[in-house]
Amino acid sequence: MTDRPGSRRGVLEARLAALAVIGLGVVAIVGSTQVRTPGGYAAVGANAMPAVVGVALIGLGAALLLRATLRLDLDHAERIRTEAVATHWPTTGLALAGLVGYAMALGPLGYVVATSVFLPFEARILGSRSTPRDLLVGIGLGVVVYLAFTQLLGVRLPAGFLEPVLP
Amino acid sequence: MDVIGSLLGGFATALQPEYLLYAAIGVTLGTLVGVLPGIGPALTVALLLPVTFDLDPTGAFIMFAGIYYGGMYGGSTTSILLNTPGESASIVTALEGFQMAKRGRGGPALATAAIGSFVAGTISTLAITFFAPVVAGVALLFQPADYFALMVVAFVSVSSLVGHSILRGLVSLFVGLFIGLIGIDVLSGQPRLTFGVTELLDGLSIVVVAVGLFAVGEALYAASRLRHGQDAVVAVKGRVMMNRDDIRRSWPAWLRGAAIGFPLGALPAGGAEIPSFLSYNIEKRLSKHPDEFGKGAIEGVAGPEAANNAAFSGVLVPLLTLGLPTSATAAIMLAAFQIFNLQPGPLLFSQAPDLVWALIASLYIGNVMLLLLNLPLVRVWVKILEIPRPLLYAGILVFATLGVYSAANSVVDVLIMYAIGVLGFFMRRLDFPVGPVVLGTILGPMLEAQFRRAMSIAQGDLGVFLSRPLSSTLLLVALAVLVVPYLPRLVARLRGQRTAVPRLTFGEAPED
Repeated sequence: MTDRPGSRRGVLEARLAALAVIGLGVVAIVGSTQVRTPGGYAAVGANAMPAVVGVALIGLGAALLLRATLRLDLDHAERIRTEAVATHWPTTGLALAGLVGYAMALGPLGYVVATSVFLPFEARILGSRSTPRDLLVGIGLGVVVYLAFTQLLGVRLPAGFLEPVLP
Repeated sequence: MDVIGSLLGGFATALQPEYLLYAAIGVTLGTLVGVLPGIGPALTVALLLPVTFDLDPTGAFIMFAGIYYGGMYGGSTTSILLNTPGESASIVTALEGFQMAKRGRGGPALATAAIGSFVAGTISTLAITFFAPVVAGVALLFQPADYFALMVVAFVSVSSLVGHSILRGLVSLFVGLFIGLIGIDVLSGQPRLTFGVTELLDGLSIVVVAVGLFAVGEALYAASRLRHGQDAVVAVKGRVMMNRDDIRRSWPAWLRGAAIGFPLGALPAGGAEIPSFLSYNIEKRLSKHPDEFGKGAIEGVAGPEAANNAAFSGVLVPLLTLGLPTSATAAIMLAAFQIFNLQPGPLLFSQAPDLVWALIASLYIGNVMLLLLNLPLVRVWVKILEIPRPLLYAGILVFATLGVYSAANSVVDVLIMYAIGVLGFFMRRLDFPVGPVVLGTILGPMLEAQFRRAMSIAQGDLGVFLSRPLSSTLLLVALAVLVVPYLPRLVARLRGQRTAVPRLTFGEAPED
């Protein structure tokens, strides 16, 4: 089955995931050694649980690795193969980048402006072709949410440079 | 009866016009958000959490009850008309419901789901009313060792009974436990796994984790494959109401669904997946029309929907009486309680009786409102399904950001939530279940605290978990849950059969 498109990639991804789980386990064990144990009686200290979780993650990660190498889980490999073929990475990456930009812009631009820009931008990345409509929806959503949260719900949202205009 | 008196008191509170309005808003918002494809009840509750910040606790929880039921009902609409269940408990509804919709019977499918949800919801609210105070009384006898054992049962069942692989379920659970460990240890006050990052000292809130996994993870996953076109919404043609035959076939399924759903939901066994699958299989076996299954049998919608709803109510029993959330949605509800400085558990009934009984009363009211709201408005909800997918997911991301940002006004929280979203995206791709992560995050610290308390009381003797009858029984149950799914395979091997016998699973369609 290795000659089918994406299958090599799928198995590779499963192996990387297994390594990531093992890596997380190592992080937990390193973290457990950094926990200071204050005086006073405790049958089980604060560092025990991180160590247990670390050991378990390493063990489970090793089992995952086994199922992606020597004892390959064929069903799972096939499932990941179809995923790998269907994935469009540029869209995913851009969508994430847009999202991070949105979070960073919330403070400086304010909620209303950031949302009015982000919504049409993100919709465009996700394949929307009617940008004017999306822009209107973005502005409407930004204004309505801002007013509802600040005026009705008493939750503060950043006004940004629209501060003099907004209530 | 004391219970009746308390309940009437609860109704007196919940029926005040102000609170009725909150309940109506909750049901409407819950349905509105729950109908959106890809959004299940857990995410609905998490996203709408900020809406309740400004209310008094009673008002907030009345609104919550509405959101909770509305989110569930909205999810079934999506499953039936779009075949994209928002959460694993609705997968079964989609099996028959979508087939009914394709054959022009979407209306009766939605109606049997709505009425079934109402019937089962009301029966199980009655059960909560009489059952919860009893459990709360028993729970007073629970010691740390017993709590620990109970949480082990919850962990084992959520990771081994749901999903394709026990191994991947356990990995998800331990990733959740890892996330739960981040921050200051409650017992010793020491920071753990923060690696010097001040923002991590308070730990990761369950809302950040759940919204990241469910909303951002789902949106990124959808983004990665949006170029493959949009699923078509099946139009609701003809009558919405059921005919006499539909009703005759539905009502026994509703009752059986409620009878299966409530007790299984009340056990710490991981929510509504198992009961809805069990109900489907039972309906299939008992049906006089077994040939219709797979082609749109109404019992296959009525039973699982009732079981789903009853189980969701059943989950409230361990949540309110033991403080134990056993599903992702319950985990968010617990977070909501904590925002209002309330600690669910055996003492909640004695310390905040007004709130508890108002909440229970509003479950009855929410159910009635849902029925009144949904049957006439079916065609409005269907319109929501037609929102273009790119705009929908962009909107989900806006609300996910809003939900996390407004909770603490922190951009760092939002970025952490996105990072967890990336984790959720890869988990979804690689077929790791996300539910165990949420449960591990919230139950992990509770499990650890009870374990360490039990060990301190027993002066470091591990035998304490085996010497107490309650905790040793519970641990045996956990072991059984881990072994039972492999029994068919084991028996087959002992008989010398060579054919592969699959492990028993719930919560996923059989692999094809």
